Amino acid sequence: MNKKEGIPDIVFIGQPNCGKSTLFNFIAGLKAVTSNFPGTTVKHTHSKVSVRGRLFNIIDLPGTYSLNPADEAEKVALTHLFVEKPDLVINVVDASILGRSLEMTLELMELEYPMVLALNMIDMAEKKGIEIDPEKLEEMLGIPVVSTIASHGRGVKELLDRAISCLDEGLKPKRLVWSKDVEDKIKEVEEFIPDEFKSVANNRFTAIKSIELDRPSFNRMIQEISLPLKNSIDNAREELQRNHDAPAYEVIAAERHHLAFKMFEDCCKVTRRKKASFAERIDDILMHPFLGYFILLGVFISFFLIIFVVASPIEELLLAPLTALRGVLSDFLGKGILFYLADGLIQGIGGGIAIVLPYFIPLLLLMSFLEDIGYLSRVGFLMDTLMHKIGLHGKSVSPFMLGFGCNVPAVVSTRILESRRDKIITTLLIPFIPCSARTTIILALIAFYVGPLWAVGFYLFNMLLVAVLGRVISLFFKTQSPGLILEIPSLKVPSISNVLKKVYFQLKSFIGFAWPILIAGSVVLGLFQFFHVDRVINIALSPIVEHVLGLPEELGVTLIFGFLRKELSLIMMLQALGVGYSQLLTVVSQQQIIVFTIFLSFFIPCLSTVAIIWKEIGRKWAFLSVLLNTSVALLISFIARLIFIGI
Amino acid sequence: MMSLINSPRRKQLRITNISGGAEVRRRLFSLGIHKDDIVELDSRSMFRGPVLIRNNTTGTSVAIGRGIASKIMVDFVE
Repeated sequence: MNKKEGIPDIVFIGQPNCGKSTLFNFIAGLKAVTSNFPGTTVKHTHSKVSVRGRLFNIIDLPGTYSLNPADEAEKVALTHLFVEKPDLVINVVDASILGRSLEMTLELMELEYPMVLALNMIDMAEKKGIEIDPEKLEEMLGIPVVSTIASHGRGVKELLDRAISCLDEGLKPKRLVWSKDVEDKIKEVEEFIPDEFKSVANNRFTAIKSIELDRPSFNRMIQEISLPLKNSIDNAREELQRNHDAPAYEVIAAERHHLAFKMFEDCCKVTRRKKASFAERIDDILMHPFLGYFILLGVFISFFLIIFVVASPIEELLLAPLTALRGVLSDFLGKGILFYLADGLIQGIGGGIAIVLPYFIPLLLLMSFLEDIGYLSRVGFLMDTLMHKIGLHGKSVSPFMLGFGCNVPAVVSTRILESRRDKIITTLLIPFIPCSARTTIILALIAFYVGPLWAVGFYLFNMLLVAVLGRVISLFFKTQSPGLILEIPSLKVPSISNVLKKVYFQLKSFIGFAWPILIAGSVVLGLFQFFHVDRVINIALSPIVEHVLGLPEELGVTLIFGFLRKELSLIMMLQALGVGYSQLLTVVSQQQIIVFTIFLSFFIPCLSTVAIIWKEIGRKWAFLSVLLNTSVALLISFIARLIFIGI
Repeated sequence: MMSLINSPRRKQLRITNISGGAEVRRRLFSLGIHKDDIVELDSRSMFRGPVLIRNNTTGTSVAIGRGIASKIMVDFVE
């Protein structure tokens, strides 16, 4: 309960792909993000709603498969559930896979919070030939059960009505009894929980979780709290293992599994269909060991078409008025400090609007669409083998794909990866993926001055570099990637409103994070120019720029610009060399352009990316990422210099 | 007894044993893959890739990497 305002907290929790966010959206209006890919709601979403004239605080938690967290998105869900103690839990399940979903329902009931079960996607269940009797299930579980179809809003009113009554009555779920020997062990552990120990929810739940959570850090913590408790837990685990010939956490999971399965059989009538449905037949093609890759290739090609054919003309269209505005400003403000400040501001805002958005919005739309229909997890499946070659697995594909738009949200999306090792390797590789800003540079410099085929070659080389680096980086990790375990949800007809909402949400968080950095960076650059800091930088960097890379000294300062914002380097390059775009070849050679682009593309990730890496995996890795990018950029561009320019 | 990667496609198989690390087993469990479940191999990737299994007991489809799939042992359902 929100203490200050007395508004009850209602949390929505469920397994990924159960339609929880769709249901939440329906109730909340326009807030949470939904998708058909495990783990989109990586942060929880709050919203205040008024039902029957009363105010409620509703919270959408990330999808989680169980209450034993495996990845970071799941940790968010559980921390909230355990620490903030909601007043009511709405457990959303995919009715078409009720047998499995009920396992988590039973786990949630152990919390003994007031709870309601939403049997969502009941239409899908019927299509699969599963007929559920909600009343019977309600009787067995002892909590209200309501059938819903969130995408049509069916059953939502009843769900809310019953939820509010449940909340008002403080109705607690039934305590389900497990096998005697398991129950005995739980009771033994319960007795050793000290009075001053702050249990999560209730002592029984704490005891169960203590037995289940067999992890070194947890065991150490318990030992510090109470040695007798630690001993009783150890003893319970040992005896359960001995009696059941399986680790204790599996014994407990099996209790839930058997109970859930029994309930499923008691309340459902399943009639198996012989004929494959339309979606299944499409799926056979999408996942086909041969055709599947052709379709995937088509998707990737359309991905690049968006970058090259759609986005870049829009960018030019948007940039033109900005350049004009700049001209007007310089007439108006002269060459004083005001001009440089205003110019920096315009460049910052303009860069955000004209350079990032034309690439980013179409890519986000396409990604959301692919997610919503359920194709993205299929990409994970198809690409798994290839990703194994670079030391990762299929789930890392979607962060990489997002990286082509912008590296910042790509780094955020690594939260869907379970192992920290995979998360770190993926995060270190993302800055090598050419984002929209770098694509702009590659197009403007290589495609325009050297030739379009060279730009394609550059892209291919870039992909090869990512693969080689992935392989090299994974050598430094002792552990192996845990491997792919990815649910493949049923294919769905996409919901346009879901797709749009998701794009809106991602765009909002991207703008909130990256734009301030972009604009501040540009203003600082304006000041640099005004105070002629650029000359000092040029001299300081000349050993690298001139001697290692064989480029004109004046380009030194553009590298600093590149750190703040990659695409600014391009504009500044012309400024630094004192020529217009069309005369560039009079001062630098094609070969020098190649070397410069290579260095610019791979050296230090931009400021916003470094900041997000710092935030996501820590300072140490952010520094390492900078170091890695810089040394790779130096090495490759030096080699390129030797090949193209000579000593 | 054979592992999932050596099993034929579209045949009813019963999971007889799941070995491997605790985290992986937990993950499989929570995704609805248990011992004694009846599963079916749905499709296989071309280049020695992951396997896709349809769990006929719980009604879910899960893609499993080769490494993990080799630790899941199955038998034909009589």
